[in-house]
Parts: sequence; structure tokens; C-alpha cells
Amino acid sequence: MTRNDVGKGGFAGGSGMRERKTRGRRIGAAVLAAASVLGATACGIAAAEEDSVADKEHLVIGVNKDQPGVGQRTPAGGYEGFDIDIAREVAKRLRVTGGNVTFKEVTSGTRQQMIKDGDVDLVVASYSITPDRKAEVTFAGPYYVAHQDVLVRGDSPIRNVRDLKDRNLCKVEGSVSYQRVTKEKGVAARLVPATGYADCLDKLTGRAVDAVSTDDLILAGLAAQAARRGGGQGGPPRIVNAPISDEGYGIGMRLGDADGCVAVNKAITGMYQDGTAQRLLHKWFAPVKLNYTTTVPQFEGCE
Amino acid sequence: MTAVHQAPSAGPPPPGPPPGTAPVPRQPAAPVLPGRPATRSEPRTGAARLVPRTVASRVRALTVLVLVALAGLLAVTWAAVGDARDGVRVIGQDAGPQVVATGDLYTQLINMDARLADALLIGRTPNLGPKRDQALAAYDDSRRKAGKALLQASGLADDDTEERTARELLDAVARYERLAGQALLLDQQTPHTAGTPPEGVLKVYRQATDLMKLDLLPKAYNLTLDNGTLVRHTYENKQNAVSNGRLWVLLTGIILLALLGALQLFLAARFRRMFNPALALATVATLVLVGVSFTMLGGQADQLRKAKEDGFDSILALSRARAIGNSANADQTRFLLDPVRADTYEQVFLSKSQTILYVKADSLAQYSAAVQTPGKERDYLGFLGTESSRTSLPGQDRALGSVFTEYRAYQRDDSAMRALVAGGQRQQAITSRLARPDSSFGRYDVALSGLIGLHQKAFDDAIKKGDDGTAGWNIVIPAAGLVLVALVLAGVRPRLSEYR
Repeated sequence: MTRNDVGKGGFAGGSGMRERKTRGRRIGAAVLAAASVLGATACGIAAAEEDSVADKEHLVIGVNKDQPGVGQRTPAGGYEGFDIDIAREVAKRLRVTGGNVTFKEVTSGTRQQMIKDGDVDLVVASYSITPDRKAEVTFAGPYYVAHQDVLVRGDSPIRNVRDLKDRNLCKVEGSVSYQRVTKEKGVAARLVPATGYADCLDKLTGRAVDAVSTDDLILAGLAAQAARRGGGQGGPPRIVNAPISDEGYGIGMRLGDADGCVAVNKAITGMYQDGTAQRLLHKWFAPVKLNYTTTVPQFEGCE
Repeated sequence: MTAVHQAPSAGPPPPGPPPGTAPVPRQPAAPVLPGRPATRSEPRTGAARLVPRTVASRVRALTVLVLVALAGLLAVTWAAVGDARDGVRVIGQDAGPQVVATGDLYTQLINMDARLADALLIGRTPNLGPKRDQALAAYDDSRRKAGKALLQASGLADDDTEERTARELLDAVARYERLAGQALLLDQQTPHTAGTPPEGVLKVYRQATDLMKLDLLPKAYNLTLDNGTLVRHTYENKQNAVSNGRLWVLLTGIILLALLGALQLFLAARFRRMFNPALALATVATLVLVGVSFTMLGGQADQLRKAKEDGFDSILALSRARAIGNSANADQTRFLLDPVRADTYEQVFLSKSQTILYVKADSLAQYSAAVQTPGKERDYLGFLGTESSRTSLPGQDRALGSVFTEYRAYQRDDSAMRALVAGGQRQQAITSRLARPDSSFGRYDVALSGLIGLHQKAFDDAIKKGDDGTAGWNIVIPAAGLVLVALVLAGVRPRLSEYR
């Protein structure tokens, strides 16, 4: 509709007096303007709601591919682990199942940007919630609070982190775990570089290092893998169960998706209430005798 | 509507009134007036049929349109005022204050565990008996308050998941009480002086404090988060409804003004009177009503926003900071109480401190040193950091300043305590902590409460203004309606009577 049409259609139109026509146009334009403001407001609200992970029909979930027991790529091309099961379960409770859930590989270096770019809707990848990260990403959860612990050979005398003094500790470049021991705790361990935690495990069973220190869930996965391979020297590795930190594993999503965050938190609470979370923890971590927690963690909050 | 200009001619009287107007008795002799309809010999088709054909019926039709638009304006104003009132009621009187009260649940639970730790740390030290009694009395007091807050929190639960969380909490509190009783009894049966209690007591205490840390506190905190979400949703709904209602008031108001203008002009043209005072008055009254409603609703949306953003959000964030601070303070006691878990308690103290005020640091020592530098708080994250970069209320800077000052002192005291323990003087650290229980923490907590009080005042003010803003509107709207109807009829009736 053009301004002219509005003027002709106005209630005061047709008098033949110029000023009246002009007024009609003005009123018409004002009505149009007000109507378009109303319309725009309604559109804005609708768009915001559609964007939330709470309302999506398909979900792309970012996961790890190299953490045995937590998030690992299988030879068949799928993914398996505690994080993967959690991701499927959360998606199910958001009413997204089967072929509508797609997993995409992320690393600690790429996950934040992938959330920002919209490449993934959710990230479930042993993603610790920190104040720094909370400024960039909205976190639901944590769905589990992991603890940094120490993995040693079965015959090791090491009982807690202080016993690592003058011992060989595996150092994975880019990880902050070894710094917790040497800097935060001030324990003078000898650092032996490794390319990753799989390498650390080989060095541990081959006696090149005495201990590996990182989150207990990851250590549990490594221990399980070693046990499957026959244990290596000094018996199957064991976790010393002397936690030195709390690491809340969150589910990352687009910054500001408060509704999605609330929905995912509700899903996590439900998983702990109906025993699903306990079953998954048992499935992945009972075989390696990890002391895992079976109660719902304290959430970070969505606002 | 160009058909308004028709050649005046004598003829049969105008047809009956269009539907919706009061029937006007027909006069057999038609007055010689402009606006007589064209003869009926050429039946009109389509939309033209809907256009009334006589002056009188056109006046009536326009009058009906004016009255319909008026009804619309009054209805949307009524609805918007209702939304504004609901928003203020939910945020100000129902859910808002209850959410703040349930935040108290967390604090009280932490106090229970902290006082239990105090009582166990004191043991049966001869001269510290009264202190133990004090700790136990404080424990009971916190338990009572926690029970009350839990009741309120479960009252707010609005779905199955939340209700179940509230029930599980009740159950866990009972289990905690049983363990606490056992620990205290064992502690009394195995006398020890101030300091680490015997292993048997510690074992039961660890079960109790694990239950608190892993089960009770997370659920209590999550329940408060759920309730906060409830308030956020209500706020967003009502805020949108009031903003949209305001635009609808403007839109219907403009339509009504246009119709009144049309009526005025039509009468002026057809009846050769330049000015209809009653209709002019009605136009002015409509302008005033729309203007005042529009302004009032804007004010309401603004008060609602102030109550939510300057009041509620800050109160909730700072209450959480307070809860986590209380739990960090208890971790200091546990650090002294339980040397086996001291490493964990120290790391947890650091991570809680960073939740309150975030500065990147590799170790607790580095953190305590980093927060000592004043003036950089606005760059920090965490509850206090975020709070300091928000829009400020009068007096907020000063209140925040004293919170930061006390927080720094608290962190300094913590470093001193840990230095004593590291130097092998755990006993002295315990004694000095018991001698001045929580002094620097207490001062920090008081400063934080002061800051919360400031936001509470802003909240109360906004709610009061919101309440006052809509007061009397359930009379204003119908009264304005009656006046406008009267004015419109007064303006139109004399003209219509010219046809009688």
C-alpha cells in the first residue's frame, strides 16, 4: 500500500479539500507506522524463540574423538563414551532422537568458535565451566563434576599428589593439568613431555613416567583401556582417588540462550532423578573402580 | 467515500437506520437538506452497498464507528493496565520475594554444616565449652530457618521435576541431621582438645559434609535457579504485554482520533457549521486519555524493568555470591579440620573465591595477591565483578567499594592462616581462627548485605511506584468512556434531530 492509497482510503477523504486529504494521509501513515512497530515486535520475539536449542528439530552436538570412555571415535565411524551417552540422553529429553541428532568432532581449541559460528548447537566434550568461558558461551549443567586425580601403576607407592615430588609426571603440551600439580600445589615433580594422554598411558605402562594427572573421568577411561590390553608392567594402572580440584563439565551453547539452558538443566535433573545418570556412570566408570558421585551437581545458572 | 458529494434533491425520506444505531422515527416530509440519497432505481453492487446513502445514516454510521473505536481503545487500555498490574504483583509481591527467601535456604544449610564443623573442632576444650554451646545453638537456629525456607521453596515448585527436588531435599536434611547427631555424640564420647577430632568422628563428619556438599547444597541452589527462571519468564511476558499494549493504545487512539476528525469534518461540510464543540471536546479528551495512558504504560514498563534489573537481578546475583562466600568460609574450617582432604578444600576455596570475584590465577597464593590491587574490579568477572559493571544506583559505588575492601582483607587473613599451616603451625592457626571466629569474613558479609540492601531499596521503590502508577485506573477507564460517549452523542444528536 502506498501513502496515496492510504490517504484515499482514510475516513476523511473525498472532501475535495486539500488539507483534509493531507491529514488523512498523515493519519494513515501514523497508523501504518504503529502497525509496523507492532508487527516488528512480534517477529522479533518469534525469531528469538525459534533460535533456542529447546525448540530445534535437529541438533548438531560437538563431541571429543580421542578420550576413551568419555568421547571416542569408534573404528566403525560412530562415537562412544560417557559424554556421547549424556548427549544422546539430553537430546532425547529435548524431543530430538535418532537421525535428527548429528555428532560433530570438536577439540578444546575449536569448540568455542564452533558454538559462536553456529556450526554446533551443543557441545558435550569434557568442557569445564570457567568464568572466562562463561563470558563467551552459555553453559547448562554441569552434568558431572570431575576431579583432577592421579593415575599410577598398580604397584606404585604414590598415595596423593604430594607423593609426586621428585617423580616423573607426564606433561601434555597445552593441558593445564600438570600445572595444577607443579604450580598450584607447588609439588616439584619431574615433567616428561608427551603428545597426548594415550601417549602418557604408554609411557606409564612402559615405566617412562610414574604418574599421569588429569580429570578422573579421563583417567578412568585410560585405566580401562590399559586393563583391556593386559595391564602392562606393574599391574593394571589405578587411580589414587586423591582429588585436587572440582571441574564442572558443562553443556555449551550459544551465548544468551537462556531458554535452551533451562531446558537442558531440566533434562539433566531428570536424568539424575530417574536413575539414568547413575546407570551411565556405572556403565562407564564402575569397571575401573572410580569413586563417582551419583547426585545432581550444583548448576551454574542460565541468566 | 467520494460519494459524499451528491446533488441535493427532493425525494423520499432516507431509508431506515443502518444496523447498530437506535432507530430514529421517520418523518414523512423530508427536510430540504443536502445529502439526500440518489434514487433507488439504480441498485448498487459490491462494496458500494455497504456505504450508507443518506446524510443521517452516514452520520449514524460514523458515530457507530467512533463508539466501536472508543470501545476498542478502552479495552486495550484496560488489558495493558491489567498486564502492568500483574507484572508488578508477581515480581513485587509473589514470586520475587519468595525467590529471595529461598536463596536463604542455601545460606542456612551452609551455616548448619559450618557450625557443626566449629563444634567438632572445639571438642571438649575446657575453657571453650560456651563456644561449643554457641555453635550448637547457632546450628539449631540455622536448621529452623532452613526448614522455613525449604517450605517456601517447595511452594513455588511448578512442575514435577522441581517438586521432586524439593521432596529429595527434605529427605536429605533428615539424613544429614542423623549423621550430625552421630558425629556430635561420638565427639563427646572421645574427648579431645581443640583441633582435629579423632578419626572415628571425622569419618562420620565426612559423610555428613559430603551429603551436604554433594546432595543438599546443589539441590537447594538448583531450586533457587528454577524459581529465578519463573520470575524471568513472568517478567518477559508482562514486559512484552505492556509494551505491545502501549502500542495498541496508540494505534486504537489514532483510529479513534481519525474517526472523530472525520465526523467533525463531515458535519462541518454537510451542515455548514464550522465547529462542533462537543466533538471537539471529545477529540481533546481522547488525545488526553491516549497521551496519559501511553505515558503511564511507559512508566509502568520502566518501573517493571527497574524492579527486575536494578533490584531483583542484583539481589539474586549477590545472594548467590553470599551463599558461595559462606560455603568458602566453611571450606577454610574444613581445611583445618581434615588434613587428609586439605588439598581439595584449598582448591575448592580458590574456585569459590573465583566464582565470587574472578581473577585469572594459577594458585590460591597468586589469586590472593592479585585481588589486592584496588581499582581494577570493573575488569573482573565473577558475581562481584559483573555487579560492579552494571548500571549504578546512587550510593552503589561506595557500597561496592567497601565490599571490595573487606573482601581483600578476608583474602589476606586466609593467606595468613594458610601460611601458618604450611609452616607447621596448624594448631596455632586453629586457635587464632577460634579466637576471632570469622571476623574478616563477618565484616565482608556485613558489607555485602549492605549492598544487597541498596538493591532491595531500589526494588521496593520501583514496586511501590509501579503500584501507585496503576492506582485508580479501574475507575479512570470507565469514567473516561462514559464522558466520551456523552460528548459524542451530544455532538451528533442535534444534527440528527434536524431530520426529524
